[in-house]
Amino acid sequence: MSFDFALIVDSIPKILTGIGLTFQLLFLSAVLGLALAIILLLMRISGRWYLVAPTMVYIYIFRGTPILVQIFIIYYGLPQLEFVRDSIFWPILREAFGCAIVALTLNTGAYVSEILRGGVLGVDRGLKEAGAALGLSARHRFIYVTAPIAIRLCLPAYSNDVISLMKSTALASTITLLDMMGIARTIVAETYAPYEIFISVMVVYLILTWIIQRGFGWMEKRMSRHVRSEA
Amino acid sequence: MIPKVLDMSDSDQTNIIQLEHVDKFFGAFQALKNISLSVKKGERIVVCGPSGSGKSTLIRCINRLEEHDNGKIVVNGHELTSAVKDIDAVRSEVGMVFQSFNLFPHLTIIKNLMLAPRLVRKASKSEAYDTAMRYLERVKIPEQADKYPSQLSGGQQQRVAIARALCMNPLIMLFDEPTSALDPEMISEVLDVMIDLAREGMTMIVVSHEMGFARKVADLVVFMDQGEIVESNPPEEFFDNPRNERTKLFLSQILSH
Amino acid sequence: MEALTGWWDDFFWGSLVVVEIFFVALILTVLFGLIGSAAKLSKSRVAHSIASAYTIVFRGTPEILVLLLFYFGSAITLTAIAQVFDPEIKFVDIPPFWAGSLAIALIVGSYATETFRGAFLGVDPGQVEAARALGLSNLKTFIYVRIPAMWRLALPPFGNHMLSLIKDTALIAIIGLEETLFVAKQAIGTTGKPFTMYIVVGAIYLGFSTVITLSVMVLERYANRHLEVAR
Repeated sequence: MSFDFALIVDSIPKILTGIGLTFQLLFLSAVLGLALAIILLLMRISGRWYLVAPTMVYIYIFRGTPILVQIFIIYYGLPQLEFVRDSIFWPILREAFGCAIVALTLNTGAYVSEILRGGVLGVDRGLKEAGAALGLSARHRFIYVTAPIAIRLCLPAYSNDVISLMKSTALASTITLLDMMGIARTIVAETYAPYEIFISVMVVYLILTWIIQRGFGWMEKRMSRHVRSEA
Repeated sequence: MIPKVLDMSDSDQTNIIQLEHVDKFFGAFQALKNISLSVKKGERIVVCGPSGSGKSTLIRCINRLEEHDNGKIVVNGHELTSAVKDIDAVRSEVGMVFQSFNLFPHLTIIKNLMLAPRLVRKASKSEAYDTAMRYLERVKIPEQADKYPSQLSGGQQQRVAIARALCMNPLIMLFDEPTSALDPEMISEVLDVMIDLAREGMTMIVVSHEMGFARKVADLVVFMDQGEIVESNPPEEFFDNPRNERTKLFLSQILSH
Repeated sequence: MEALTGWWDDFFWGSLVVVEIFFVALILTVLFGLIGSAAKLSKSRVAHSIASAYTIVFRGTPEILVLLLFYFGSAITLTAIAQVFDPEIKFVDIPPFWAGSLAIALIVGSYATETFRGAFLGVDPGQVEAARALGLSNLKTFIYVRIPAMWRLALPPFGNHMLSLIKDTALIAIIGLEETLFVAKQAIGTTGKPFTMYIVVGAIYLGFSTVITLSVMVLERYANRHLEVAR
């Protein structure tokens, strides 16, 4: 058994044709997921039980089940229900791409809202009190004091979640989508050369992970300028 | 007043601790410069000096929590080298009390005391228990045996730490600023235990700024500054008639409050 | 619900497979995490680099990719070896159970490596010194002082690793392990009720996650009993 380098050289361009789809899945669900997470967070910290309870159930369910099962329920499962097929969402849920986006968004939203909540809880009570003492309204305190500090606090955890999301996009290949992973699986099925193909695509994923890490690292550095100047 | 071992010339008494020309470096910084010191059995030494003067480093070298770079340290006949067997033997004969107590937070008080006797001395459970209770009584907190360290006050924790060290029947006790982390009202309960210990003839080296304690129990007060032993004298001499300028300055600062 | 008649015992046996694979993978995860963290903390530059490469690769690539690489990679290697002895042999593989548990344990083990490393570093050096000053050997200090102190620090993040582990078992259905997701697929084939079947799978996983979460809570309370009534 030998390592077929010609095959790698041959396959990498093919695999990279899937990178566009991987990016689409990642960016769309990251943005939509963040929006969902913020809504969930505001509900969670509203202090009203009829907002808090559903949020907690939602987060509990989506963090407690495998994302693969969530994808299968949405893609294979929902069409079983008549009212789904009759609803206005059907054009989205009919497509594998739409289902992948919906599943990834719902999943990452649950995780990210918990990360954001951790950041909000981590903000020093004294700072909020200082804001209150200055006469800021609760809303202004949240926007001008709590939120900016909380964002800095949860950036490292958030960057890990974006990497998790990127890894989860590979599961879209299980519902017929031809992202990088989907293309790699197709090539392996044709050539039966798992080492060459899978290791090549692994390298591409590692590079993406590295880029995401560096990007967030740079953001973190910029956001903590005020801390560094003290030291 | 406690009887003191003043007769230093007594040739029968061998040195239980002997340091000869010891140097210790942390990177480029020299923490100990050419330290020589001998301690006889039953002697009580108090080491004082400004922070960063090397006094903690000195006693940490004696049980090799720090490794000295040059010179020779002999403890109870064992020369301290990198041979591991010897180190563990020496450490089990030298008790140490830390500034921050360092009790094991996950163990109850009694288990803190029983751990080392059982593991190192291979004592039976009941033996270790009896020893532990005896020393807890000596430090006057037997009723706290089943509590966890975090449930005790600082003074109580430090007394437990002393008892923990005593459970190993050490020949020598080292104290690294045992009262510096304590609230003022708790200092005397710890010092009382240490005075008792001194009274019973324990060999002790105490790093401390408690000058009242030094006056009361020390055979020798050692003043260190910038890694050197600047002056060492019996307490009356040391306090009433300091010779070196740095000693005078230090004493004026510490006694002025 | 009547679609489920006759399938309950299949789901039960599928769940049992999930439990088995979880415990096998859990032991391996702890093992990989301890070895990895020891290597990362060691002074040996070689051990450190190997451990770093391990965590970078396994935390940066999609789980499904690692799993497929392991399964198909090992199969092709084993088949090649087997054919040396008997050219008649067409296909030899590592049973999905073992390929799968090894793959997910390596993945989660890479996260555990970082958790354990942080926990070991978090142990108060004063406690270690106190143990050394009492004459405890390195090994005894490790067993009686470092481990009990570090596992309390590691427990909350490790609880999350256990949740990842149980959820990752679902992926192993992709390589043919007969666990709940696999059972669901078969059931759908005969009943044509994908939504019902996948919801059952989701509920089973939610049950497992709940059990793990509650167990971790109990363990945490036990681990921190020395802090109770402290204030």
